[in-house]
Amino acid sequence: MKPTDKPIANPVAVLREEFDNWAVLFNPDTAEAVGINPVGTVIWKQMDGRHNLDQIMAEVMDHFADVPEAAGEEVSAFVDDLAQLGFVGFEIKKAVI
Amino acid sequence: MNMLRNKRTKSPLQVMRTPRSLDIELTARCNLRCTYCYFFDNPDIQYRDLPTKDWLHFFEECGSLGIMDLTLAGGEPFMRKDLRTLIDGIVRNRMRFAILSNGGLIDDDIAEFIASTGRCDYVQVSVDGGSPETHDVCRGKGSFDRAVGGIRALQRHGVPVAVRMTIHRHNVHDLENGARFLLEGLGLPSFSTNAAGYLGSCRYNANRVMLTLEQRQEAMQTLLSLTERYNGRISATAGPLAEARMWRQMEEARTQAAPPMVNHGHLTGCGCHWNKIAVRADGAIVTCTMLAHMVLGWINQDSLEEIWQRSPELTQMRQRHLIPLSSFDSCSGCSYIGYCTGNCPGLAYTLSGQVHHPSPDACLRRFLVEGGKIPGLHIQSNGQAAGTWEEVAP
Repeated sequence: MKPTDKPIANPVAVLREEFDNWAVLFNPDTAEAVGINPVGTVIWKQMDGRHNLDQIMAEVMDHFADVPEAAGEEVSAFVDDLAQLGFVGFEIKKAVI
Repeated sequence: MNMLRNKRTKSPLQVMRTPRSLDIELTARCNLRCTYCYFFDNPDIQYRDLPTKDWLHFFEECGSLGIMDLTLAGGEPFMRKDLRTLIDGIVRNRMRFAILSNGGLIDDDIAEFIASTGRCDYVQVSVDGGSPETHDVCRGKGSFDRAVGGIRALQRHGVPVAVRMTIHRHNVHDLENGARFLLEGLGLPSFSTNAAGYLGSCRYNANRVMLTLEQRQEAMQTLLSLTERYNGRISATAGPLAEARMWRQMEEARTQAAPPMVNHGHLTGCGCHWNKIAVRADGAIVTCTMLAHMVLGWINQDSLEEIWQRSPELTQMRQRHLIPLSSFDSCSGCSYIGYCTGNCPGLAYTLSGQVHHPSPDACLRRFLVEGGKIPGLHIQSNGQAAGTWEEVAP
């Protein structure tokens, strides 16, 4: 995945936020559910197809203190995991003919 | 020295922001009148249905709250002519669903529709044995064939089928045939069991349908044996099989003077109110379909989220686990207290008139005092037989 890729949350997926800012992501089509931590919740909310990974990372830095250097890779890996589980997709650009 | 400083403090259990699941009685109508039905003949219920638009509006609220799945029951859900529209509403609002049914109204057409949604976890059909004789006696003539027809239609379209067998006086001697029919004849991966309980219509027919003490023992013995033969493909969360398993553990703990089991010794028998809530056919939001009198509010009038988080009755239900069994006269001096949960609050209510009370029906001491015996041989950890359960008295 490139830092300029703009992930899009699967519109069918449901985010169940809890009081402690942890959440459950649920895909009713597959019955798949995963728990995500507060950082994951912030990332999920940015995956609207308008923010690329760099911009999402900036949002994470804005929300949380002491974000480690390697966080960018972790964010990328997290989005990849969600994509593999069918929670996230990417915009496919039309080929120019 | 302040001893309290060293005392570990615990945070109270926090409830989820919204329920994960809902049990919904879509209709108060049914094509059958089973003699042990928990739903009918309940003086606390108004038997009336809501129009389609009311349910659809409510499903939108459910979807917005992130509720994950609905279990549709009744009455008989397939009585509703608008069932497809309602299911479409569930799917549109990003939820999954399951249906509890007698199977008699399920044909290929509706089975195909259910399969096409891709959102159905299962349709549970009630089948009380392996032949019309054991099933129809409580459910009505022809109901067995129709239930089996419904199951086959679901199977043809790849809809997951669950079967629940209710054990009563007329099928308790035929459980082996029932298991063979369901697991070998219909090829189901598994089925679950319970027993006719003292709720609804059953209260008026108790002496004709509810298991006697001897029959309860027989059912426990047979089901334990069948579940071994069928490699665990028979399950139960209530009824003779569940009791046999639970009571064996309790007796084992007692004879070994084991420390109290975690989360036992208090009213911890039901944890449903931590993750789900129920709605009656008339739109009343209740803690559970088995506690239909505990109305917390009404759909489309009251906020489900508000009820879930702030209802005093629900809060009380969630604090049941703090009530020690030792505070009840009926549990006084019982050597099983540390291994007991008090069981179902719904049955506790119908039998004792109190929700926050242990259920007399599931009391092991009472069962033994009345002459009951727990089937199965107790094997000690060294492999030696320590005697049969039957020999043990409280």
